[in-house]
Amino acid sequence: MEKILNQEKLREWVDMLDDCEVYAPAFADSVWNFARIEAGTDIDLSHTNTIGSVKEFVFPQREVFFRFEKKDGVPVLTPTLPDPKPTVVFGVRPCDGRGMPRNDTVFNKEFVDPYYWARRDKLTLIGLACNLPHSPNCFCQSVGGSPHSEDGLDVLMTDLGDRFHVKGITVKGVEAMERGRDAFDAVRDGDQAEVEKVHDTSRSFPQRPLGNLDAIPEAIRENFDSPLWADMAQHCIGCGICTFLCPTCHCFDINDEVISPTTGEGERVRTWDNCQFPDFTMHTSGHNPRADLGSRLRQRVSHKFLYFVENHKTQQCTGCGRCITECPVGIDIVAVLERVSQ
Amino acid sequence: MTDNLYLPKIGRIVGIDEETQGARAIKTFKVEFPNDDGFEHDCGQCAMLSMFGKGESMISIASSPLVKEYKQFSIMKMGRVTSAFHAAKIGDFIGIRGPYGNQFPLNDWKGRDLVFIGGGVGLAPIWPVIQTAVARRGDFGKITVFYGARTSSDIMYEADFEKLKASAEVQLSVDAPEEGWPGYTGFVPANLMDKAPSPDNAIAITCGPPIMIKFVIQNLQALGFADEQIYTTIENKMKCGVGKCGRCNVGKDYVCVKGPVYSWAELKSLPQEY
Repeated sequence: MEKILNQEKLREWVDMLDDCEVYAPAFADSVWNFARIEAGTDIDLSHTNTIGSVKEFVFPQREVFFRFEKKDGVPVLTPTLPDPKPTVVFGVRPCDGRGMPRNDTVFNKEFVDPYYWARRDKLTLIGLACNLPHSPNCFCQSVGGSPHSEDGLDVLMTDLGDRFHVKGITVKGVEAMERGRDAFDAVRDGDQAEVEKVHDTSRSFPQRPLGNLDAIPEAIRENFDSPLWADMAQHCIGCGICTFLCPTCHCFDINDEVISPTTGEGERVRTWDNCQFPDFTMHTSGHNPRADLGSRLRQRVSHKFLYFVENHKTQQCTGCGRCITECPVGIDIVAVLERVSQ
Repeated sequence: MTDNLYLPKIGRIVGIDEETQGARAIKTFKVEFPNDDGFEHDCGQCAMLSMFGKGESMISIASSPLVKEYKQFSIMKMGRVTSAFHAAKIGDFIGIRGPYGNQFPLNDWKGRDLVFIGGGVGLAPIWPVIQTAVARRGDFGKITVFYGARTSSDIMYEADFEKLKASAEVQLSVDAPEEGWPGYTGFVPANLMDKAPSPDNAIAITCGPPIMIKFVIQNLQALGFADEQIYTTIENKMKCGVGKCGRCNVGKDYVCVKGPVYSWAELKSLPQEY
């Protein structure tokens, strides 16, 4: 389904999604991030990219798996599976959209993660093509994507100035468009050509290059024992921001939190974790397979550009550039890969 | 809705054996499923055990799959969860989910000699293989079990070893000299070289401290065992057990799913990150 939506009709569409939780980018505290949109509120799609990625809608920072308590001396477990309202997210950049099928793979393969899927099944992603690169660190095209990639999105919107071209990609996406029926106009002669022109132009801007993507796995393998990892990681402060903001990083921790020490009542909780932390892999004995910064940088890069490729035939990176832009000490995954490939 | 893989079943401790004492004490727990919702497992698989309020730990299942009434776990007192296990009493309830991981390919080894080499608590992961092989005694050739502990009082499954002698050759060792010790004195890899089992039509299965495994494999190779004839089981820190939390990987493999059992031929091809 392809439609035209005048800029001033955007709010009308959003208002017709009143049985859903609607999120869109909002500018606050100097950054764009997804925020809940109440009915009757305008949304602003002039954003660059959000600081957090859409993975937060399916994989929240903190999530309770179940509550435990003791009744008559026997543990009683109460699962806390989420049951969210249908959720529609506007303004999803194609790099984040491409992250979602990768996350689906992780939370599906071998064992189905019911917490992830309870949210995922209710989520509709309305993408917005990037007419301009939103950061000098964008490299979506270098990892096989594009500024108007439809991969992982339910709808792709393209900004044509006074109006949007809106394309329904999945069943969920078409349903969301049908809900806003009256807000849309038919596609007219010339619209398609204009969309193509905008998309062509968006692909013509320079991006961070990665060279031959197919050669990277072998280059990483050959450099496994190279000193370059330690060299490039020596200024890493191990803060983990690279993974927390990444649209595809999925590592997590599971811990018990005791609410009442007297009754033993508590919760088992999943929280985000991070391969850049030393205790991520440290055994109780103190032995640590990835004891130094270099081996941990190698793990982050290898996971995305070697192991995920070996297991799933695609990179676990969509070139959003957040890990480069937001790293406090300037560690740059493109520069690391460039050096590995030399 | 699919099964909630993170929701443990309730287990009940019905037996506790003190194997060794001291700073790194080992206790063996027999666990039943009071709600009759237990699961089957294969040799080499693990289960995620929990003490509610303390957390979870991945522990290898030390009982044979042929034993259906209970599952057995030998746990060294190391951290928060394992210390809570050591403080537990018979009748206490635990959480248990699994089984996780692959298995020793015992069916592929029919007609072959089996050489087991264990050290310390590393006996636990290979114990179900030993027990199953002995229960199916006619399926295999000669069975030899090497096992070493720091001292004679640190030897696990002592009573079971006595029974084992009826169907297998048992070669015990202690690290340092002890008065009256009838077995070998010295480290496990040295005892292995001393007895020099033949690699002909044999499979070697080893587990123990990493340093022991390293020298055992070197010595097996010196004895003529090919990489495909050597099996071990490895461990890494685990949280989910289902290949998602991201920490137990060795190269492309999550040990909780693709491991813990590897032939040396397979393990050699992975990065040395364990």
